[in-house]
Amino acid sequence: MIDYEILASQQRFTPTYVLRDVFDGLGRVQLWSAFAWDEIQQRYRRSRLGIAWIVFSFLLFVGAIDFFFGGFSAESGTNFLAYVAINYAIFLFLLSAFTEGCDVFRVSTNWIKSTPLPHSIYIYKSLARSLFVFVINLIVAFGILAWQGIWPTSLALLSIPAFFVLLLNAVWIQLVFGYVAARYRDLSHLVQSVSRLLFFITPIVYVRDESAGLVALVADINPFTHALEIFSTPILGSYPRIESWIVIAAFTVAGYLLAIVVGGLSHRRLAYWL
Amino acid sequence: MALLDVNSPLIESNLSNPAFLRACDVSVTYPALHGRMSAVDASQASNLIMDSRGQVRGVRALDRISFELGHGDRMAIVGRNGSGKTTLLQVLAGILTPHSGRVEKRGRSTSLINVALGVQPEATGNRNITLRGLAAGRTRVEIEAKRQEIAVFSELGDFLDMPVETYSAGMKMRLTFAIATAFEPEILILDEWLSAGDSAFKAKATKRMNDFVEKAGILVLASHSRKLMEENCEQALWMDKGRVIEFGPVKEIIDAYESTRQR
Repeated sequence: MIDYEILASQQRFTPTYVLRDVFDGLGRVQLWSAFAWDEIQQRYRRSRLGIAWIVFSFLLFVGAIDFFFGGFSAESGTNFLAYVAINYAIFLFLLSAFTEGCDVFRVSTNWIKSTPLPHSIYIYKSLARSLFVFVINLIVAFGILAWQGIWPTSLALLSIPAFFVLLLNAVWIQLVFGYVAARYRDLSHLVQSVSRLLFFITPIVYVRDESAGLVALVADINPFTHALEIFSTPILGSYPRIESWIVIAAFTVAGYLLAIVVGGLSHRRLAYWL
Repeated sequence: MALLDVNSPLIESNLSNPAFLRACDVSVTYPALHGRMSAVDASQASNLIMDSRGQVRGVRALDRISFELGHGDRMAIVGRNGSGKTTLLQVLAGILTPHSGRVEKRGRSTSLINVALGVQPEATGNRNITLRGLAAGRTRVEIEAKRQEIAVFSELGDFLDMPVETYSAGMKMRLTFAIATAFEPEILILDEWLSAGDSAFKAKATKRMNDFVEKAGILVLASHSRKLMEENCEQALWMDKGRVIEFGPVKEIIDAYESTRQR
């Protein structure tokens, strides 16, 4: 615990505050994991299927996509169902960083206004919850792969550092969107509108290499395309494009710089905005 | 401020690192985020901050507040509704960062500012003991060691296994007060904390408060109850419109404050 503390804000920009916050919060793992676990239980309490709803809704969606869109893909080399399952699982996880990020501080107003804690614990709590859903979805996706007779090779190990990098990105995304949405409430409406669109401009229901012209161009501009590429392609048995790794690496660095700026401007004001 | 009694063994253990709480020129302005206020509203309040075009930019909630408390000091805050009492407590607790000035403190602080906040209403009382303990930076082992004591003090019994949202206001208050004081903070910041308690619990809480202060803790208490403040505090800070009107012995300050209220 903090033994000696000075709270002062003559300066309007405090990047060191937010950096310390991100590290202090990480250390409070018992607290944010307890919060996350409570919220998971709360969400499925009093429902008969409970956590099986996560499995059911994932299977339903992936199955429907395969049924309706399976015919569109020439399916060069890979199995379309397996392709959709893996990509959709990681897509949902990344999308939740944006959608949950907008609410990350707002839903914890109760605690932020009563208890001095690092803001980042609310981010880690939200990420832990998303991660829980992701792990379940990923297990189901691997089940689909096995069912289709696809066995990931050692190449799939490349997905582990890829996921770690994507997780790092989820932290800054939640931080930036959390602070900005706390001040400008319109952001969460915008994110909701765009998130529906994102599903169509990200190669989940189609394969990027098979698309051409404007569709391929839009897919290439969309960072989600590259995030899916570095994570899913090794699992499905090929090397990811090196360009995608470069795009994601640049995105990570730029994101953290943005987080330092936004966090530096917002950290001490958050409690006033909520 | 309070003289140090070096003969007391309880204080001695803290001598090397005594707790303190210092506010230097603390000012807070709430930003006006919800659109512009009309000029009619604006003319009624003198602590509004205007920009050059006469638009309201914010509300000055605290205006250069300074004081210093050492170990064993017990300060009451008096003032009308809206005088800035709660805002000052939030700043002292570290929830709000002042816009100018600084708060310096040493010692673990616990604040109980709004009984409804800082609990998970869907979780059970026991689970909230764990969460609040973790939030206070305690380990699981320390929390388990205190659980029985909290259960006894709060008199909640089997209700601790029920969700907190099913509690009455008095039960919630007993639970949060029991948790807040169980983890032996060195600085305790309380706002109107006994409003929902019955007289038996008030007496019990006052006793716990005295025990706490004897351990050389610092107490800051905002209240409207004269009895409560006189029993628990020795100094008082009288606030109005975010400014300090007077600071001094609790009885004199409350007398002065109440005499202006009757006029």
